[in-house]
Amino acid sequence: MSVSRAIRHAKAILTGFKYLLAGPRLTIMYPDEVQELPEGYRGMIEYDWDSCIKCSLCAMVCPADAMKMYVSREESEREGKVVKRPGINYTRCIFCGFCVDICPTDSLKFTKVHDVAYYTYEEQIYPPVEFRKGVPKPLYFREPRRVRAVLDERRGMRYEPADGS
Amino acid sequence: MSSPEEKELELLIGPQHPASGHMRLVARVDGDVVVELRPNIGYVHRSVEKLAEVKKYLQIIPLVERPSLADTTANNLAYVMALEKLLGIEAPERAKYLRTLLAEINRIHSHLYGLGIHGVMIGSSTAYMWCFGDREPFLELAQELTGARLTYSYIVPGGVRRDLPAGFGERAEKVLRYMENRMKDYFDLYFNNPVVRARLEGVGTLSREDAIRLGVTGPNLRASGVAYDVRRADPYAAYPELEFDVITEEAGDSFARVMVRVREIVESMGIIRQVLRKIPEGPILHENYEKLIPPKTREVMKRKGIIKFPSVFANLRVPAGEAISRVEGGRGEVVFHIVSDGKPSPYRMRMVTPSFRNVILFEHLTKGARVADIPAIYGSLDYFPPEADR
Repeated sequence: MSVSRAIRHAKAILTGFKYLLAGPRLTIMYPDEVQELPEGYRGMIEYDWDSCIKCSLCAMVCPADAMKMYVSREESEREGKVVKRPGINYTRCIFCGFCVDICPTDSLKFTKVHDVAYYTYEEQIYPPVEFRKGVPKPLYFREPRRVRAVLDERRGMRYEPADGS
Repeated sequence: MSSPEEKELELLIGPQHPASGHMRLVARVDGDVVVELRPNIGYVHRSVEKLAEVKKYLQIIPLVERPSLADTTANNLAYVMALEKLLGIEAPERAKYLRTLLAEINRIHSHLYGLGIHGVMIGSSTAYMWCFGDREPFLELAQELTGARLTYSYIVPGGVRRDLPAGFGERAEKVLRYMENRMKDYFDLYFNNPVVRARLEGVGTLSREDAIRLGVTGPNLRASGVAYDVRRADPYAAYPELEFDVITEEAGDSFARVMVRVREIVESMGIIRQVLRKIPEGPILHENYEKLIPPKTREVMKRKGIIKFPSVFANLRVPAGEAISRVEGGRGEVVFHIVSDGKPSPYRMRMVTPSFRNVILFEHLTKGARVADIPAIYGSLDYFPPEADR
């Protein structure tokens, strides 16, 4: 083996050891630790019943046919005409956020919730009345530690407690 | 005595893509020498292109991103650029810089993805962990800018969806400095590692003439000494105003292909710095669309830096005609051809992806190689099965 090859072997091993002892640790212990998401994260969608003007643009723009207009029976009877409101099917939603960005009255908003599990397919379909109740709270076995990602020029990604503790 | 045919064995390698059963390699081997290797690229061919014919123009944006999840911006940008040609509009300057910014962040994390997969293919799980770990800061930056980790759908006709968040420049600078420092360790641990060099140097050599003749694209072409980059050949977005080199290597072997990607990461970091320094003030959506938004909403939109789509986006109609656009993605040239008949959906859409153009190399480069060289060559091509099968 030439000397230069031996040196390069040694460098590789030493670099490995250096990081073995003090390398960046990227793993977070989900679900005991949960990452806080940045502003503007495109998570599950919140619906404001009162400000909605029922224009149906959200359903028209939805690329995955997840957002659909449902007949609002109570309102239709009251107003004597067919009134439709949006509902969402999270089995289809791809979280592109086009519906939020096209909504002229900000009735649809992003939340930072994305890690919700369901028992059945039907539970993931939110007709307007369910949709207005807001997004579900993710259920954890025990309350997780909230961490946030910090970009560090020495270590790259670092996760530190979100509450500053 | 047995005939030469009887000495050969058919070996099925794959499927390589765990999710959809794409990409099976059918090899004929004589001992451990590959006589012939034929890739079987899958069976959903043209699904995206046919689906696009029944989707509206805006709805196609998330669709075209799907085939290439590690490099979504290239497809997003190429599609929107073709659409803008048909619409006869051009994005404002600031939007062009933001498009370039995301494209370069995406190029870096796409290259890190490719290098990581290549690392694990030739047995270095450390390289895989490092590359995927160091991809994370770039994904965080892109997420901060767009709100999503991979499928950004950030570029829309006439502009982009969001402006730079406050403090983005400083955070990006930290990530770039981290990556620059880290690069030395990458070389010590992996790229200069004699084991890695032995596996890659002189393996799967592609000559300059063959690279041109076979229509190879992207880093695989540049590794054979051809200085062809769409960012230079047919400049788009903010690239005409930025300084960067087209990275080439002369050897044309697996190691050269890896090196082109590594050097491109460094070059992309330089481009990101220039973008953040030079980005002009101004709108991020074309005035034709901005004026359709009610004045009050427009004010809020400018304050928040998040655009509101005008209602015409829901049923966007483009004039009849054809348009072709191309961009330099992480893996090579991405081409979109849209034929419009004036209806809300394209009459025909055709996308040409770099992996599809590079798939020919599997057969070309493996002839006469050893079976153990197959993963080394495969990884060096940065081949992404769904992108070829789209």
